[in-house]
Amino acid sequence: MLCARMRRDVGLVLLLLLSAAVKCNSMSPPGKPVLLGCRSPEKETFTCWWEPGSDGGLPTTHRLFYERERLEGTHECPDYRSEGRNSCFFDKNYTSIWVDYCLTVVASNALGNATSDPFKMEVMEIVKPNAPENVTLLVEDREDSPCLHVKWERPHKIDTKSGWVTIKYELRVKQENSDQWKEYMSGKQTHISLYSVSPGVVYEVQVRCRLDHGFWSEWSNSTCVKIPNYLQTERPFWLLVSTLFAIPFLAAICILVMKRKRVKQCVLPPVPGPKIRGVDVQLLKSGRSEDVLNALIINQDFPLMVTWKDQIEDYLIVTENDEELLPHPSNSQKRKKSLIIPAGFCLDSEIQCKESTASQSDTEKAGERKNEKDNFLKSNTSLSGESSSNTVPPLLPTQKQQCPSLNLVNTEATDQSPSDHQNAVKPFANSSYVDIQRHVKQVDYSKVKEVNGDNILLLKKENVPLNSSGYMDDQRQENISEDYSRVKEVDSDNMVFLQKQNVSVDISCRDKSNHYTDCPPQKPRNPRVTGPNTERTESGYVDTVPAPPLM
Amino acid sequence: MEKEKETAARKRGEMAHRKTSGSKLLMTVLYMVAACSAIPISDLLDRASQRSDTLHSLSATLTQELDSHFPPIGRMIMPRPSMCHTSSLQTPIDKEQALQVSESDLLSLARSLLQAWVDPLVVLSTSANTLPHPAQSNISNKIQELQQHSKNLGDGLDILSGKMGPAAQTISLLPYRGGNDIGQDKISKLTNFHFLLSCFRRDSHKIDSFLKVLRCRAAKMLPEMC
Repeated sequence: MLCARMRRDVGLVLLLLLSAAVKCNSMSPPGKPVLLGCRSPEKETFTCWWEPGSDGGLPTTHRLFYERERLEGTHECPDYRSEGRNSCFFDKNYTSIWVDYCLTVVASNALGNATSDPFKMEVMEIVKPNAPENVTLLVEDREDSPCLHVKWERPHKIDTKSGWVTIKYELRVKQENSDQWKEYMSGKQTHISLYSVSPGVVYEVQVRCRLDHGFWSEWSNSTCVKIPNYLQTERPFWLLVSTLFAIPFLAAICILVMKRKRVKQCVLPPVPGPKIRGVDVQLLKSGRSEDVLNALIINQDFPLMVTWKDQIEDYLIVTENDEELLPHPSNSQKRKKSLIIPAGFCLDSEIQCKESTASQSDTEKAGERKNEKDNFLKSNTSLSGESSSNTVPPLLPTQKQQCPSLNLVNTEATDQSPSDHQNAVKPFANSSYVDIQRHVKQVDYSKVKEVNGDNILLLKKENVPLNSSGYMDDQRQENISEDYSRVKEVDSDNMVFLQKQNVSVDISCRDKSNHYTDCPPQKPRNPRVTGPNTERTESGYVDTVPAPPLM
Repeated sequence: MEKEKETAARKRGEMAHRKTSGSKLLMTVLYMVAACSAIPISDLLDRASQRSDTLHSLSATLTQELDSHFPPIGRMIMPRPSMCHTSSLQTPIDKEQALQVSESDLLSLARSLLQAWVDPLVVLSTSANTLPHPAQSNISNKIQELQQHSKNLGDGLDILSGKMGPAAQTISLLPYRGGNDIGQDKISKLTNFHFLLSCFRRDSHKIDSFLKVLRCRAAKMLPEMC
């Protein structure tokens, strides 16, 4: 009894051991494979992959079976090799679109089979192209900034010509050191240009594509390019050159600004204005007209007529008889100075200035006359000065001819007796003399012919020449003498003694009866104008106030 | 008298002006008609294919959105797409066949398919309002968009067919027999909805492909069109 039980237990133990041994050898039917998925790269073919289960220790085979819409029966995969292990490749002949496929994979070994779950799929849903090929990068060196041209090719075997598929591309760029990708859509083009690239940076480019509404392909392998740096180095060079040029330019401008006056003179020279010779601009500017006038006069040869009238007004000579007057040697001597020079003194246009009859003394007289004139002139405060003296001599010769027999009241003949003298020259006291105006053509004034004792001032009228030549001989003197009262003597008490004409007048007067009214009575009289009674008026005229004769 | 003359002259001038303006108007209209008819077919096809592309992308996103919340188990019990109401239409199933179909036939097929979905889209639209789905509002909006695009495309294809000959004018009728009701319970509703949408997605893809092939064929001189 005990042995049977022991045998049974031993048998069980052995059986258990055997089964364990069998299990340790892993010989079993294969595990269930799993279909991973399928993919069509161009909508013309597709491939499916599966994953096998455990093989059970025995050589296991896998077979794919499919069923298709609109196709009867179950078919096996036509190609297990093309796409590698555990794959099934369906070529064009076996690929249909818009129809469902139902796939199953069966794993089988010596011990059994295993069937995977069915996998439904449609080609339309599994389209995923390959990545684009031959991505090339080209850097273009432009003026402003560099530019990157990216080119690629369509994945092969994709038929876009017939329009069966339409492809779209996408591109992404990243700088080498950063992680940020920048994506760009390209559409149907197989090239794109990027303008936002910086020099001196390495860029990485990837491209992918898609068919219709299928899945995006994988990104292509990275293509790298470095933008060359040489563009940057040019800039500092130009900067240096421009600064080198700028410095002298600025310096030139500074100099110009500082010396702008000189520059202005050089570039815009002043236009010369008109200049009058002899006129000093500064003098004009100073505003002193007298100096200017002086300057003008010096340069020119016309005499000033300014004080002409004054002179006329200043002096008046009244003639008197010579006999009554004391001969004064000094006077006679001074006659020179004091005499009224008739020569060159024309009372009228008709009456010429007379000269001495003595031919010999004519020239002398003329000379002396001239001297006298000079003296007169010198004592004269007029401005005529030299000019008048210059003008006088030419007058003399002519006058000489015209007035041949006129006697000259000349100071020269100091020794001449009064009778010889046709001149009514009387000795003069030292006196200030009256200047005779040479150029007197006194028409305006009535000449004093005689001062009557009765305080009648006789005005002389126009003389008419008696001689054949038309001139009075003696009258000349008389005329002259009658025009002005000759100052005979000037007293210390400011008395002016005037001289009157003498005998010679008679002769002439007779003939001139027409013109002379009071000629005869003129002579005997001896009016004397004394000082106190003589007043010099402001106008310069000596008023012949009849004074009681001093006799 | 003068005034009367003036008014008469003015009236005559106005009449002349109107005549000239009327003739001008006529000329303008004629010119516009001529210009309208002068749009090349390639341009029209290009526009149509763009529309169909949009249509298909819409349907694809809609299907994805629906699937995201669909329990995977439901896919097993899904009716097969061969049961779509448009499956009776004989269409090419691979590239070679498709390239051998004539342009008129391709256009006819596209138009037939589009026409077949007018009614079902209405059904989808109404049932989308009560769809027991978390993304119901989105789905509903997209269904309405689908309807709009579909109508636009249909009009465009009608114009195109007029230019492509009598063969393009024939439309195969594919009536929808599913009725207005897509199901009572939640599962059946969702299942039917999903099924209809998947059918539409396939048909929109067909239309898109056909038109793109047509476009490429019409624009032989412009390879960049394809």
